[in-house]
Amino acid sequence: MSNDFYKTSILPFAGIIIKLCRAYTNSQADFEDYYQEVCLQIWRSKDSFREESQWSTWVYRISLNVCLTLLKKKKNNVQHFVSDSITAEETENNYAFSDESLNLLYDAIRKLSEIDRAVIMLYLEEKSQKEIAEIIGTNPNNIGVRVKRIKIRLKKILDGKIN
Amino acid sequence: MEKSIENIWKEGFLKSDALVAPKINNLYTQKSIHIIDKFKRMFKINLIAIVAFSFTFLIVSFIIGIPITGIIFFVTLSVLVFINKKLLNDLEKIDLGISSYQYLKAFNKWINEQISINMRFSKFLYPIIFMSLVLGFWFKDAEGMPLGERLVGEILIGFPDTYLLFGIPLIGIVLLAVIIGLLVLVGGRIYKWDLNLVYGRLFKKLEELMTDIESLRS
Repeated sequence: MSNDFYKTSILPFAGIIIKLCRAYTNSQADFEDYYQEVCLQIWRSKDSFREESQWSTWVYRISLNVCLTLLKKKKNNVQHFVSDSITAEETENNYAFSDESLNLLYDAIRKLSEIDRAVIMLYLEEKSQKEIAEIIGTNPNNIGVRVKRIKIRLKKILDGKIN
Repeated sequence: MEKSIENIWKEGFLKSDALVAPKINNLYTQKSIHIIDKFKRMFKINLIAIVAFSFTFLIVSFIIGIPITGIIFFVTLSVLVFINKKLLNDLEKIDLGISSYQYLKAFNKWINEQISINMRFSKFLYPIIFMSLVLGFWFKDAEGMPLGERLVGEILIGFPDTYLLFGIPLIGIVLLAVIIGLLVLVGGRIYKWDLNLVYGRLFKKLEELMTDIESLRS
């Protein structure tokens, strides 16, 4: 991939990719793998972009399709010495935003099904129901209902945790 | 007052550290972990391995005196490679830029087609390979005469009442027929079992995704 393509066509939309990849990973290493993979696939598929949609929408599609079908890295089951072991808490802290509320929201989003994660991420990115339906390939009429259900679920998960 | 998730989202991403893109190194050469790329890579490696094996085995079969086995192996495996190369070409056509539903559906369709074709082929593959081994050794030269005839001669000395059909002991023909029948029956299952062992987790994930996305469409 040329550096120019990355700088001009991917980097301005890195926010989209970062937000989506964060929702499908729970460690910095996985996140970097997903991010790289999405960038690679955008570059590989760039010739199939037919300008029927906006480039940003197309980046959403690629990012989402890649995230949905990435092979999660197998956890290393090798037993560590006690002094080497990394606790779940430490792993979480290493992979956190400075905004605690955002961390809690992401943790809650990661508890949703893969498709629900996609729906709520696109909703939070202020995509219209029509756009969400187009990106996911579903019926726009059902998106509103699904978003409502997901928000209720997220509120239940976050209940009392955020002020 | 509790913040809405929309506000948490907006305010959270206003902080400068929230959207820092990771550094990208050796992107062009990095080993892809994407399912389709993994399939493509494994498919290509498998096909190359089959071609290499069939060529090597063809040569070895002539050297060790079982050319019939080598030739049948070579022809059968060539057909297998040809079919799977065509399947691989279809996989290359899947466009990542389409909607998630279309994308998952296209990928799922490809996987199901690949499994179905290879399962059908496996029903013939294992029996053909088995028969090629039997024929190869049957006609292998054993001190001036085919090994099979020599074996029948030995059996007739030990068991003179053995019933022969076309010069072959009937019990042998029955045994062959049973083994071939069994291989036809389990050939497809062996293939699917092997496939599930490697990609079972992935198939389950795809199925779940498809079910979820289809519920949104209905």
